[in-house]
Amino acid sequence: MTDPGSSDPRPAPALPPVGNAVGNPILAAVAAFLIPGLGHLYLRRWRRGVAFFLLILISLWVGWDLQGNLYRIVPNEPLSILGTLGAMGMGIPYFLLRWGLGYAGDILSPGYEYGTAFLLTAGLMNWLLVLDALDISRGKKE
Amino acid sequence: MLSHFFLMVLYAFLVSAFFTLLWRRERREQVKLFLQLFLGMVGGGLLVAYLMYPFPQGPPAPIP
Repeated sequence: MTDPGSSDPRPAPALPPVGNAVGNPILAAVAAFLIPGLGHLYLRRWRRGVAFFLLILISLWVGWDLQGNLYRIVPNEPLSILGTLGAMGMGIPYFLLRWGLGYAGDILSPGYEYGTAFLLTAGLMNWLLVLDALDISRGKKE
Repeated sequence: MLSHFFLMVLYAFLVSAFFTLLWRRERREQVKLFLQLFLGMVGGGLLVAYLMYPFPQGPPAPIP
């Protein structure tokens, strides 16, 4: 099906690969999910892997220090599912914080809202790293 | 750690650095994008803060 606004009926050509496919995409994505930056390290993007790890770790630490909310699913609150999925993107640190350390945040803490933003951002950034690792592994990105 | 401005700048720095590394490879382009994102977020935050200034919510904060 062509774009009705376009005069060219030919389908758009597929984008050529940007780089060479490296590693196993599934392994890269799983590694990237479990520990921030690990997917890039597996794909030999050393500097980026370390930088991403540090950025997400700092975001996580600040959120923790401010006693922000680490989202979890709350009955009858469907939006909490989205928040939980987002925060869960940080991989092992999420499960370690939640079940290993029993972290729940403190709503009475003055930095609660800020901390929540930092924690959620850490998870969301790592989801993007999972997609990035997949693209690099498949040769769609350098 | 509880300075609103410091936290805003720190957040802008982390997010800008992240997207710069994610989206750009050349050093010159990285610096350009980082500055665009960072200054956009900090400047935008300050701008919105000043726009909200005439409309305070709740009782005025106590003077220390």
